[in-house]
Amino acid sequence: MIMNPDRKALLLDTTRCIGCGACSQACKERNRLPRTSEDVLTDKLSDRTFTVVNRQGSRFVRRLCMHCEVPSCVSACPVGAFQKTAAGPVVYDETRCMGCRYCMLACPFNVPKYEWSKTLPRVRKCDLCAERLAQGLATACATACPTGATKFGTRTALLAEARARIAAEPNRYYDYVYGVEEVGGTSVLIISDVRPEQLGLRTDLVNEPPAMLTWRVLNKIPNVVAMAGLVLGGVYWITKRSDDVARAEGQDTQGPDAGDAS
Amino acid sequence: MSEPSMGKLALPRLTFWRAVLVVLLAAGFYGAFVRFFRGLGASTNLSDAFPWGLWVGFDILCGVALAAGGFTVSAIVYIFRLERFRPIVRPAILTAFLGYMLVIGALLFDLGRPYRVWHPLIMWNPHSVMFEVGWCVTLYSIVLALEFSPMVFERFRMKRALKVVHFVMLPLVVLGVLLSTLHQSSLGSFYLIVPSKLYPLWYTPWLPVFFFLTALMLGCAMTIVESFLSARAFKKEIEMDLLADLGKVTLVLIGINLLAKYQDLSARGVLRLAVQPSYEGRLFLAEVLMGLIAPALLLAVPAIRKSPRGLFSAALLVVLGVIMNRLNVSITGMERASGVSYVPTLIEVSVTLMVVGTGFALFTLAARYLPVFEHDTKAPKPETDWADSRPLRGFRFALSAAAASLAGLLFVTAIGLTWDGVMRREPPPSRPVAQNPSEQQKIWARSSFRIPADVTFPQAPDSPAPVTFRHASHVDAAAPDCLGCHRRDFSFLNAAPPRKPAAAGVMHQNCGRCHDGTSAFSVEADCENCHGATAAKK
Repeated sequence: MIMNPDRKALLLDTTRCIGCGACSQACKERNRLPRTSEDVLTDKLSDRTFTVVNRQGSRFVRRLCMHCEVPSCVSACPVGAFQKTAAGPVVYDETRCMGCRYCMLACPFNVPKYEWSKTLPRVRKCDLCAERLAQGLATACATACPTGATKFGTRTALLAEARARIAAEPNRYYDYVYGVEEVGGTSVLIISDVRPEQLGLRTDLVNEPPAMLTWRVLNKIPNVVAMAGLVLGGVYWITKRSDDVARAEGQDTQGPDAGDAS
Repeated sequence: MSEPSMGKLALPRLTFWRAVLVVLLAAGFYGAFVRFFRGLGASTNLSDAFPWGLWVGFDILCGVALAAGGFTVSAIVYIFRLERFRPIVRPAILTAFLGYMLVIGALLFDLGRPYRVWHPLIMWNPHSVMFEVGWCVTLYSIVLALEFSPMVFERFRMKRALKVVHFVMLPLVVLGVLLSTLHQSSLGSFYLIVPSKLYPLWYTPWLPVFFFLTALMLGCAMTIVESFLSARAFKKEIEMDLLADLGKVTLVLIGINLLAKYQDLSARGVLRLAVQPSYEGRLFLAEVLMGLIAPALLLAVPAIRKSPRGLFSAALLVVLGVIMNRLNVSITGMERASGVSYVPTLIEVSVTLMVVGTGFALFTLAARYLPVFEHDTKAPKPETDWADSRPLRGFRFALSAAAASLAGLLFVTAIGLTWDGVMRREPPPSRPVAQNPSEQQKIWARSSFRIPADVTFPQAPDSPAPVTFRHASHVDAAAPDCLGCHRRDFSFLNAAPPRKPAAAGVMHQNCGRCHDGTSAFSVEADCENCHGATAAKK
């Protein structure tokens, strides 16, 4: 799989976050979403909230779509409503979606949310401001962030910056960039002064994209069909032949011609 | 109950079941109404944390599995040419056909936009397991319809159509077996993508293989169960020797399943989880004891296998066990990681019961009006060869009594474990306690705070000079509160089109909320304060 080396990403640095909620508010404005909570620090992701900044212990941690490099939702969706674009965002096409919610089940970060209260629901989530990216702009959240806790750029550059920050201030950072290995890598990278699990991030994820787990089975199907078809045909051929032989020898123990009574 | 004093002597059992059906349909219609007019949120206990519930777990996963008799029996008869089993082909095909129709019907309840159910046929994603299942189920439904069609054609004496279908029957059966193999296993592959969500007792790379093996086993068991049920409902002879042989096949398949399950659990080192007194452990044990070990004990004893009651009980246990397995994979095993505990609403249950009731009703109708059981003209075979060996008889009786009571004990234990497991359901993990930011965190974060840039508003025609808003004089860098002002808008986000000057008075009104002469200098006091002066200061 060849990936666009200039694909965009976000770098979150919890040591820089003051919990002001500007990212969440900017996201609401960009996506024309209604207010859902008086206090952004206790708000949760929903069909009307694509990012929040939550208080986790004594730190502030953003929640949003991680825009995986090999996304489970893209693999799971039976109608291809989710796509990983070359620019980096994982985007959703609501005109294809039939509402099966396999994306929600498959997502290792539980990001896609459903419009449960609607009779014809859509799946909603952060799209990394794909439209703004197309215009050469940064995401709304990164633009609004007054501290640089959310930084926008290419994944390559941001990863280098994350490592540089950690190297420059080893006392300030725990030496780990979340999102490099997890589920095969994500486009949201997170650094902090503590271990990822203290930020409420999942650390039990496989380092291989989960999509590969299903693909490894699916890509065997042509083989299975060919082999099983041959075996079934072969068995039929053999059993029929032995029946024919038996009949020809006049030892027909079955009923009369039983072969075509459906 | 029923009133037998009507003119004709109606069959009481049938009228009772008809009453049940009417109740189920009424409840189901109400459920359908709520589901389609108020949405999934109003009708189900599904949530963002638990997006798949009873309708996927039972209606789809169990529904497809329970229809496995169709491909199992047709493979036995058409491909392995074990002609003795031919009498049960038609009931098995009929069950499978109705089963798939009901699964597709139930799917429409679960899909958020059911009118797009055809999308996977047009909009391809070959990487998606569900895409593959969608195609297989569609194709297999067509195959089943064709396999079922001779019953209709015979009924209406459509000889030519009958001839055509007979001609393509063998390729159809082969295709049907292939398609079934693919999607029965793929229902297990659904869950391969959630290694961090499905409890390790059920998550295994071998999920598709297990789903296929259990489907085969269930196919045989279902055929036995439905043969008994239809024999009872339609007062016909039970082909006991035939079904006892099918019981033997079931026993072998149970053995394979047990062995595979044991191998897998011990290879992954999670065998101990099965005996832990947890919610999942209890329900797993119940599944294995009730669905595999108890029926295996019963079927292993010839005397039980060849007795109608014993065979029926064993097959029924297998059916219940596989249902429990599918529900464990789709619900029990997914709860812990989701952080919520899911119990279906009455509406979800009512819709599921309506689907089941419809299935029974349609089978009864088809069995009554179509030639489903046409092959029962064979003379019943009275003798059973095990009975004549006297000396063994007492031994066999003791053995079968022991096996039956052991299986009964296991069954009761399984029920107890299920109950205990459900009672033991852990409460969802509580959210971490919020603390205030540590001092170190505050220092780091504040030091990276940058006062946002000045904003110069375009000059309106009636304005003396452009106005520049300075974040520096409005934001307290020691305690920045962005949302204090940006309650609704970060207008810079819309900066792409050049900003138009505000209408006359709007700026004065907006800024004047604070600049009223008491909180801050008044907008009406000195024009220089905003117009021109700021620009000059720079």
